[in-house]
Amino acid sequence: MAALRDGDFAALQILLKAPSKDAVRQLCQECFCSPPAALGPLAQRACPGLAVSAEEAEQLVSALHNLTRHVVFRGLTRAEDILCLFPENFHQNLKNLLTKIILENISAWRNEAQASQISLPRLVDMDWRVDIKTSSDSIVRMAVPTCLLQLKIQEDAALCGNNPVVSALTVELSKETLDTMLEGLGRIRDQLSAVANK
Amino acid sequence: AADKIRLIPQDFFAELCEQIIQHLNHKIPGVNTAELCQRIQTSGVDINIGDLAKVANTLSFLFSTAARNNLSTEELVTTLGSGISTLPKHAVQVIRHVWNEQGKAIAVSEDAGNTATVGQFVDMKWKLGVAMSSDTCRSLKYPYVTVTLTVADPSGQITDKSFEMTIPQFKNFFSQFKEMASVLETV
Repeated sequence: MAALRDGDFAALQILLKAPSKDAVRQLCQECFCSPPAALGPLAQRACPGLAVSAEEAEQLVSALHNLTRHVVFRGLTRAEDILCLFPENFHQNLKNLLTKIILENISAWRNEAQASQISLPRLVDMDWRVDIKTSSDSIVRMAVPTCLLQLKIQEDAALCGNNPVVSALTVELSKETLDTMLEGLGRIRDQLSAVANK
Repeated sequence: AADKIRLIPQDFFAELCEQIIQHLNHKIPGVNTAELCQRIQTSGVDINIGDLAKVANTLSFLFSTAARNNLSTEELVTTLGSGISTLPKHAVQVIRHVWNEQGKAIAVSEDAGNTATVGQFVDMKWKLGVAMSSDTCRSLKYPYVTVTLTVADPSGQITDKSFEMTIPQFKNFFSQFKEMASVLETV
């Protein structure tokens, strides 16, 4: 969890050496998206563009990561709230630029944070088919409608990194079991409406 | 499987055989190996679920083959053949007893329900939740639906599969099911 530290704002002023506003923008986005473990390599890549030492690059990248994550965590959406975070003597123009960049990205970042929080495996796809069973080794003639359902379930993205594990669950449902399922789903829908109306 | 059977205490072994026979008789959708395994472990026996599943599969195969061939109790025991000396005495006793009591009743199935090549849906449990806060967002208020499907796989083992859906996903899920039901009606 990102907490802003004292040294962070000092480190942020290194951004004054950045070649352009777009470079700052790019770096902000990369620092937000990067998990803490990947900040080292990110700093190394940023180093040449900023003409700073490796150590300064690391401090900067870490500070930007903390700042962007902190804003998302607190749910700040107004310019005044973000400007307040900076200390009195912080470089004015840089402060305004950073606030502007953060405001541009805040809702996309918040969605990403919601999507990547810990959770149970998620349903990613659902396919179904209705068949009629006409015959089998025990019964020569029948006409039984049945439903085949395949659910694709993805394990927790946070655990799998870049290689999400997707497992397929194939289930057969008869008319009775399908009706049971529908009843259950109907109750969820009713609950949702009740909660939405509160 | 014989050495694993040795590990299972007699009363649990009898319960396992009962469940298998009931499953073969279509009285229950499947054998609840996970639950049985947990109870066996709680009683102090160190057995893992994979081994218990193998034992269940072996017994299921034994009983269903015997049913198909209409074996009497003595014939069944003879089929166990050379395996019999490696099986603990109480296991052979249980198999003999269970078969005597219920084996003949296993009907060679006339019902269309057992042409299973995929898992059979058993039950669905659900929960509607709201994630209030997380390490990335202090104020989340993110609603979601959690579903646990209980499925009996083709061999009769019951397993649970849990997953989460967002609200839009849930709405789509529900409408797909309504579609499936209406197709099943009209087909």
